[in-house]
Amino acid sequence: MRVLLIEDDTSTADYLAKGLREVGHVVEVARTGRDGLFLALNEGFDAIITDRMLPGPDGLSILRALRASGNRTPVLIVTALGEVDARVDGLDAGADDYLAKPFAFSELRARLDAMTRRAAATSEGEAAVLRVADLEMNLLRRIVRRAGQPIELLPTEFRLLEFMMRRPGQVLTRTMLLERVWDFNFDPTTNVVDVHVSRLRRKLDTGGPPLIRTLRGAGYVLGPG
Amino acid sequence: MSGIRRSFALRVAALSAALVVLVCGAGFGWAYFQVAGALRTQLDAAIATDAEGYLEDLENFGPQGFAASVAVAARRRGALVLLRTADGGRVAGALDGAPIGLRGFTTLRAPDGRDLRVLGAALPGGLELMVGADLAPVRRGAAALTGTLPVAGAVAALAALLLGFVVARRLELRLRAVSEAGQAVITGDLSRRLPLHGTGDEFDRLAGTMNAVLARVEALVEGLQSTTASVAHDLRSPLFRLRQQLEAAVARPREPEADTRTLEASLAELDGVLVTFSALLRIAQVEAGLTGAEFEVVDLSALAGAVVELYAAVAEDAGQRLDTSVTPGQRVRGDPALLRQAIANLIENALTHGGPAVRVEVAVRAAPGSGPTLQVSDTGPGIPTIEHGRVLERFYRLDRSRNTPGSGLGLALVAAVARLHGASLRLDDAAPGLSVTLTFPKPDAFPEI
Repeated sequence: MRVLLIEDDTSTADYLAKGLREVGHVVEVARTGRDGLFLALNEGFDAIITDRMLPGPDGLSILRALRASGNRTPVLIVTALGEVDARVDGLDAGADDYLAKPFAFSELRARLDAMTRRAAATSEGEAAVLRVADLEMNLLRRIVRRAGQPIELLPTEFRLLEFMMRRPGQVLTRTMLLERVWDFNFDPTTNVVDVHVSRLRRKLDTGGPPLIRTLRGAGYVLGPG
Repeated sequence: MSGIRRSFALRVAALSAALVVLVCGAGFGWAYFQVAGALRTQLDAAIATDAEGYLEDLENFGPQGFAASVAVAARRRGALVLLRTADGGRVAGALDGAPIGLRGFTTLRAPDGRDLRVLGAALPGGLELMVGADLAPVRRGAAALTGTLPVAGAVAALAALLLGFVVARRLELRLRAVSEAGQAVITGDLSRRLPLHGTGDEFDRLAGTMNAVLARVEALVEGLQSTTASVAHDLRSPLFRLRQQLEAAVARPREPEADTRTLEASLAELDGVLVTFSALLRIAQVEAGLTGAEFEVVDLSALAGAVVELYAAVAEDAGQRLDTSVTPGQRVRGDPALLRQAIANLIENALTHGGPAVRVEVAVRAAPGSGPTLQVSDTGPGIPTIEHGRVLERFYRLDRSRNTPGSGLGLALVAAVARLHGASLRLDDAAPGLSVTLTFPKPDAFPEI
């Protein structure tokens, strides 16, 4: 995947570019908003990661300029400002996701994947039935079956599973699940996500081999091992 | 000179005095001319009466007697009367300077310098009669009648000068008090307030508003100071521990397993610092009202229900209980993300500090006389009443909680969110346990949705 990284801090830029290259992306780095905007407008990228505060036009201005020119490349805004501001302003300006500094590299990677897959998936129609391996979810009848056996889920577990089944094979971090499934924009001190995932896992795995894997320090992946 | 120009009091005094002088001057002039006009009209009437007297003499005594009476009047009484022929030949009396052929009234200056009012009339037999009067008494009368006006004007101007000065001086003094208080605040005395006179006038109202502004500034600065102090206190210790760990690790010989342990411990320590840091930032943002989100109508019942649903599983896994007693449809005006976090913090506090078998209840109810209330109560050890105020402060932790997880910022954030929403926050002894109640303001005039 071709990724444009707009970041003025040299050590952060090097660290992120190195990490992204290691997982197989082709990375272009721009150090100023001006260079970033020029590259973004003139070369095709699969995703853009931009710092919010930049010399020259800032991240939000770049984003607005891109969207105004009809460019729909997924954009992830990375910011050292408070999360709340970042969310409101970034999403208003047309960002696909935002991430507050500092963050773990695994979080950035997971969000980049989620963002680009979502961009690819929006062209497909809404399916009424989701399938992952022998797991099947009927969204209309709100029924979940594994290998044909019905599984009883609480509403919150159903929402969590639906979110995961729409992103099979994708790393989902705790923060992503909190944000997207429960609308929580902060990190709770208790292990809320782990509790719900392990309950879900217990219910799913009675009928076969484990479907939800834990990636230590990163998050969860749904899919056949 | 610049002192006068810069003193509001002196400028106002001079201006009001000048205005009074101008008005008096105009009034004086107008009155003089009015009075002079009225007196002259009277004089004209007197002259006309005189002239009629002479004409009666003409009718009664004939031309000879008439001429004689004119001559007598002129000589004995000094009357200004002249009888002459149409070509200017004097017949009797004297009136120097009266123009030949005068008909009706005129004002003229006699050769001896007196200003005269003269009436001329034609008589049968080619004669003409001139009757006149001196204008000096008229002028003296008008001057006497209006003469008090300049004096009154001068007195009034003086009074205006004095009054203007006193009023403006008081104004200046009150403004100076405002200005001094402002200066005191600028130089760092944030507790300084403007003096109120208790009269409730415009100045008191202005001073009241300014005092409210100053109180807000003081609160914000205090918040900043306590944040700075908290950061120094509670972020420095873990950072110091981190430094020690790394320093010790650098000093000893490389050893993969021990190094990995040190790095993992350091990462965990650092994550803790970051959590504390973002919590502090969040509180600071909420307290300054800078959350970036607009308030909207929020279904508090549904919101609390969703958070409880999330934590019920956590409680159950830990052998604790989380119950709800929620009256549906209770709405408040607010920021859903912050309210969600406040409810989550309260539940987490109760579960974390309540002990292994704690029972937590989340209640949303309608309250008479106010907006809905949100109550989170537990059956845990509670908080001693004396400590109720302090646990709302940043980083304050009960001694027994030092070793349980948490940043000590949970309730401080709840307090900040409550303030932002205009809600009151009350801690009560639930005997046993703690109950925290948020009472929201009356949701007057929600737009229908």
